[in-house]
Amino acid sequence: MRTVLRKLGFYLLTAWVAISLNFLIPRVMPGDPAEHLINQFHGKLGPAAIQALRVLFGQPDASLWTQYLNYWHSILTGDFGISYAYYPTDVGTVLGQSMFWTLGLITACTILGFVIGTGLGILAGWKRGTWLDSLIPVTTFLSSIPYFWFAIIIVLVFSITLNWFPLSGGYSVDTTIGFSGDFIASALYYAVLPAATIVITSVGGWLISMRNMMVTTLSEDYVRLAEAKGLSRRRVMYKYAARNAMLPSLSGFAMSLGFVIGGSIVTEVVFNYPGLGTTLFKAAQAADYPLMSAIFLLITIMVLVANLLADVVYVFLDPRTREG
Amino acid sequence: MAMQPAVLAETTEPIEPEAGRLWLRALRAPLTLTGVIITLVFVVLAVIGPWIAPYDPSAVSDAATAAPSFDHWLGTTQNGQDILSQVLYGAQASMLVGLGSAVITTVLSVLVGITAGYLGGTSDELLSLLANVFLVLPGLPLTIILAAYIPHSGSLGIILVISLTGWAWGARVLRAQTLSLRKRDFVEAARATGERTSKIILRDILPNQLAVIAAAFLGTVTAAILTQASLAFLGLTDVTQWSWGTILYWAQADSALLTGSWWWFVPAGLAIALIGTALSLVNFGIDEFINPRLRQAGIATLKAQRAQVSRRRTKRVRLSGDRQPRPAGAPFTADSTDVVLDVRGLKVNYGATTAVDDVSFTLRRGEVLGIAGESGSGKSTLAYAITRLHKPPADIPQGEIRYTNADRSTVDVLAMDDEQLRAFRWEELSIVFQSAMHALNPIMRVGEQIEDALVAHRPGMAAPERAARVVELLGIVGIPADRAGSYPHELSGGMRQRAMIAVGLALDPEIIVMDEPTTALDVVIQRQIIDKIMELKDRLGFSVIFITHDLSLLIEMSDTIAVMYGGKIVEMAAAQDFHERPQHPYSRGLLESFPTLSGPKKELSGIPGSPPDLRRLPSGCSFRPRCPAAFDACAEHEPRLYQIGASSAACLLYSDDHVVKMGESA
Ligand code: SF4
Repeated sequence: MRTVLRKLGFYLLTAWVAISLNFLIPRVMPGDPAEHLINQFHGKLGPAAIQALRVLFGQPDASLWTQYLNYWHSILTGDFGISYAYYPTDVGTVLGQSMFWTLGLITACTILGFVIGTGLGILAGWKRGTWLDSLIPVTTFLSSIPYFWFAIIIVLVFSITLNWFPLSGGYSVDTTIGFSGDFIASALYYAVLPAATIVITSVGGWLISMRNMMVTTLSEDYVRLAEAKGLSRRRVMYKYAARNAMLPSLSGFAMSLGFVIGGSIVTEVVFNYPGLGTTLFKAAQAADYPLMSAIFLLITIMVLVANLLADVVYVFLDPRTREG
Repeated sequence: MAMQPAVLAETTEPIEPEAGRLWLRALRAPLTLTGVIITLVFVVLAVIGPWIAPYDPSAVSDAATAAPSFDHWLGTTQNGQDILSQVLYGAQASMLVGLGSAVITTVLSVLVGITAGYLGGTSDELLSLLANVFLVLPGLPLTIILAAYIPHSGSLGIILVISLTGWAWGARVLRAQTLSLRKRDFVEAARATGERTSKIILRDILPNQLAVIAAAFLGTVTAAILTQASLAFLGLTDVTQWSWGTILYWAQADSALLTGSWWWFVPAGLAIALIGTALSLVNFGIDEFINPRLRQAGIATLKAQRAQVSRRRTKRVRLSGDRQPRPAGAPFTADSTDVVLDVRGLKVNYGATTAVDDVSFTLRRGEVLGIAGESGSGKSTLAYAITRLHKPPADIPQGEIRYTNADRSTVDVLAMDDEQLRAFRWEELSIVFQSAMHALNPIMRVGEQIEDALVAHRPGMAAPERAARVVELLGIVGIPADRAGSYPHELSGGMRQRAMIAVGLALDPEIIVMDEPTTALDVVIQRQIIDKIMELKDRLGFSVIFITHDLSLLIEMSDTIAVMYGGKIVEMAAAQDFHERPQHPYSRGLLESFPTLSGPKKELSGIPGSPPDLRRLPSGCSFRPRCPAAFDACAEHEPRLYQIGASSAACLLYSDDHVVKMGESA
């Protein structure tokens, strides 16, 4: 329990760093991003909206400390300003619309990729020295491919050439968003290619790290003892080798979530998937700072929560972290 | 890394070439070599790319969206720009960002990691906290934002942004490495002599980290090329400067997909994937260099495992699931002929090195056979070979291990197939490992680890019966029953070793091989465990092969003692005889300053000189360089075991020739 609490403290600290970075970046950047941003709107904003943006991106007339306090006030009240790219929608609403697409797609795919990769890694480690070792260069290649490029290729083959799957989007335009069978079926259908991209390109990395951990674990004394005891191969492989080998792999998983999610959001852009990645892309194109910084914060929070969940699972798997 | 059991140390050390040669060997691995070559090709292309590019990458031409042809090997863009030229020019920008970021990132990682690890204390805590925070922060979104604030930034901006967000991983790894290095003797020694910190870091710590630093460097090159490509693809860099990502950006912006111009985006993506693969392959080579266990995985093929024992056709004696009860064990006497295990001419090789050479002995029912030797004498290898737990590259080319069944039929352990071996091991012969800490599964309850031997060998046993047996076994070794639900880390060292013994006793075996079962324990606990073993042996009637370097312990508890040196048994005698009349010069040396039985412990270290290198054994008698009694013939003849009364010793002093010669000269 104490482990989890300590981790929680660490993630809160990280969240604080992220929020403060978000505060600092526009203020240390050359030029005056706030002014630049406000000018972009060409006077379409009311005084209240302008003030809100100034609080977020720099008030030349206030001390840094006052600015910081005001900034926190905005963050805590959920006021992220008005989006320029999606004018006149405010940032909160834009995020609300795109968040669930990303959450659904990336959560499912990241976990799926990890599970498949780890499963194959267990097998490859167990049968080390057999033909399975030749998977290594193949999977290395797969995991070295940029996500978005793989996405392009997969679109070319399956949407454009074979015409099996839709080219882009998150659902068919003739369904309405809601809990209808039609919509869900369409959303799943549209998700196939983005999902395949993320899963296939992420499997390789997990496979290789799990294989190497497995090989290392297999030469531990307790595995040798388990074999000596005459246990079934399955039991030695799972209960003794794989369960121990998985522990470092799992903390690696937590650590690399930020990286994986980063890669996945670029994939969204290729598919024009209505999630955070595409939104971030549009925001960056339009120099829509309010939207960008809010997305950064949101993704950070998602990564932190995912990390915390991974830690809880870890504590569940490793009794040594449970005491005290 | 966890401490490796002694037998592993024995397997790796004798065949380990020096570090320098190892690098060469890593290079010789085909995959690593491929990686290095591809990487070099890319580096060369990045340098000479602009000179060999056939066209100006930005020059428009009439050949719009043309498929690959003789004029344009990789086709053209919508504006008729030559894609091959773009890729060649792009190589420069992409590789520059990759290498540049990696250099800066690595410098940052090294500074932070080594400083933190070396200084320790508060500065370490703060720096590691910072590293962890940066590690968890999602890098790409942060990079995207930073890049968006510096619109159309060139390579330099991108390099800075990537380094700023990417240093944490390497710093973390290096810190951990430095921490463990700092505790090593040579660094401690340098600190004690008051050397300057910077000098210690530069001279003692950095060189030891080179492999890790190299791995982090190459990893960052890959990550940076990928990140640059992502940023460029999203249009966040200067889109007029050609890089692989920019090519993809234009391909996407001009809907290359919809027009089906695959040649437009395939080459750039392939280039990224190829260089990434190549660098990862090099990194595998480095991984294997750092982690020797991975290196050994290559040899541990199933085929090799099966071929461990050179097969012989022998009469297969099927081990029945239900054992015949044995006659109650009578107390062991010195003239017993009730042999349970008969080892003949056993030889164990690690590749070209012979670790155990022509070892023969018998073990009688109820006997305690003590095997003594320095580390590297082959004693642990022998223990694993008897149980056939040796792993490739260890191999048994010769020998016989005959086990006598309850019905007096005998079976050769080396001729058993997997299934027979599985039934034989633990049922008839079990092993207690050196370190219970490493031999118990850390994430499994102790009771369950005892129970699973029962599950495997007694399929008919019901769960409550098994639970009762677990409690009984724990009781036998003196562990309270409620500890069955504890995890190994919750037990004390002595308790863990008892639990190990309980695991060994689970199926009531005839023979227990104990490989230094008490070395890791303090003297009091050690005494308790030994007493327990002796008590159990008398009560349950099993035989023990006890392996240790603690000679006084051995003399006290063994019936018979075998001393190993350089992979061979050099003396074998009843414990009493051995103590009173050691025959071999090595044994005599060991016992020379040996006090009474109850006196202080004496370890095998009292002889000048060091244990022999198994790869380069001296000619003739391998003890010769350290032997005070050595004479001419010792360099020429390898002594066999000669009988001297009830003892036997492998020393030419006892050869007939020598006796005759001595007789002549007398
Ligand atoms: S054979 Fe020679 S060298 Fe070897 S132990 Fe005997 S006397 Fe010493």
